[in-house]
Amino acid sequence: MDGRIFNLLVESFPKMLVPCLKMTIPLTLISFGCSLVIALVLALVQVAEIPGLKQLARLYIWIFRGTPQIVQLYIIFYGLPSIGVMIDALPASIIALSLNAGAYNAETLRASIQAIPKGQTEAGYLTGLNFLQIMRKIVLPQASRIAFPQLFNSLISLVKTSSLASSVTVIEMFSVAKKIAGITFEPFILYCEAAVIYLMVCTILTLVQDVCEKRLNIAWS
Amino acid sequence: MIRVKNLHKSFGSNEVLKGIDFEVDNGEVIAVLGSSGSGKTTMLRCMSFLEKADQGEITFDEFHHDMVTISRRDIHKMRMHMGFVFQSFNLFANQTALENVTTGLTVARKIPKPQAQETAHEMLKKVGMEDRALYYPAQLSGGQQQRVAIARAIAANPRVVFFDEPTSALDPELTGEVLDVMKKLADEGTTMVIVTHEMQFARDVADKVVFMDGGSIIEQNGAKEFFESPQQERTLQFLRRSSKDYNYYI
Ligand SMILES: Nc1ncnc2c1ncn2[C@@H]1O[C@H](COP(=O)(O)OP(=O)(O)OP(=O)(O)O)[C@@H](O)[C@H]1O
Ligand SMILES: [Mg+2]
Repeated sequence: MDGRIFNLLVESFPKMLVPCLKMTIPLTLISFGCSLVIALVLALVQVAEIPGLKQLARLYIWIFRGTPQIVQLYIIFYGLPSIGVMIDALPASIIALSLNAGAYNAETLRASIQAIPKGQTEAGYLTGLNFLQIMRKIVLPQASRIAFPQLFNSLISLVKTSSLASSVTVIEMFSVAKKIAGITFEPFILYCEAAVIYLMVCTILTLVQDVCEKRLNIAWS
Repeated sequence: MIRVKNLHKSFGSNEVLKGIDFEVDNGEVIAVLGSSGSGKTTMLRCMSFLEKADQGEITFDEFHHDMVTISRRDIHKMRMHMGFVFQSFNLFANQTALENVTTGLTVARKIPKPQAQETAHEMLKKVGMEDRALYYPAQLSGGQQQRVAIARAIAANPRVVFFDEPTSALDPELTGEVLDVMKKLADEGTTMVIVTHEMQFARDVADKVVFMDGGSIIEQNGAKEFFESPQQERTLQFLRRSSKDYNYYI
């Protein structure tokens, strides 16, 4: 490998790692956290069969699963200002990523909740519990175990989708890679390097997933 | 104590309950018999509001409600005094035997945990499961699961306990241990409504037998009278079919 390229890799690595740690990962984790809250509400509203709200949840999921993530982000960041709603780039990205992942995670949670035998819910009602108590104490602890691999999938996917934030001026890892590539005229090297860092992050997450799943599988049986 | 009047229930065009009148007195053990599909389970499920009746009224001590228009709140109030034991146990899979029994006390009734656990241990002891208190349902045999389920159903000292074929999912060897527990509860004066195919048990333990056929109660009588002198031809047929040596009883 010639020395210039080696130097470029070494010099650019920390320049990309820092925004990765300071922006890409926090952006991913915050968006994922928000998406879980959204997903939980959407899933519970559907399972509880609350008239009106249930249809609203279906509508939400239909829209967010049926339109491209980048279009959603552009509508929030570039579109909303024209009707007087200004949102900064970072919150706009968090909102767009959360809303989108929320729709997918809602489906995961709903399916997992529905996989828990109905008899346990009936037994819950007849021991005097109400709907939320049954969910909290009985159904969700079991459903979350079923949902776990799929939710983790969604987290790993979010690490990568967070790069879309670069298209609305957020300075995260990929936007730094683009900038350095533009200055040095070495797009191949820089984008490969960015890809490797994404891969590293996702590898670590996969290891975390394995550990968690092993832990989860110990209890109850 | 409980009186259900004119209970109707259909699933689609299938009329499953055709105007049931049913009464349970305090301390009474009632066996509900009837062939498969006669509506026994549906009757219990309507009385505990797991299934919404199409018509009917229920009186349960101080509560009196139309079974169709009753509110969730009122259902909840009545359920606080009911216990239910399912054919398939339905234990909470993520909770130990002990937690299965305490949850209704601590979460639903806000009883402090130490007190709830004391009660739960007492209940588990009553059903002979105190040494399995920390086992999860998946680690218990069917008979053991059903005994925990009974402990859960009686923990809050309900005024009535419904049993829907509590031993039908069990091997014959495990049936006995569950029936023994139920017999003990009956002897202690627990008010029980038991749907069962265990003729011998019904005969020994029940005060009264209710016989259902095609969505109606067609005969009810004291247990002894019911088995010794059935009034309806249909009842006699059923008894002959369900215990091959029935003719020797009488
Ligand atoms: N959820 C349901 N949806 C549609 N039909 C139902 C439902 N539950 C019960 N039925 C029908 O209602 C009728 C009575 O069922 P039920 O379970 O009450 O009978 P059962 O007397 O308990 O019978 P078994 O002894 O087999 O348990 C049957 O024809 C059954 O197919
Ligand atoms: Mg039945």
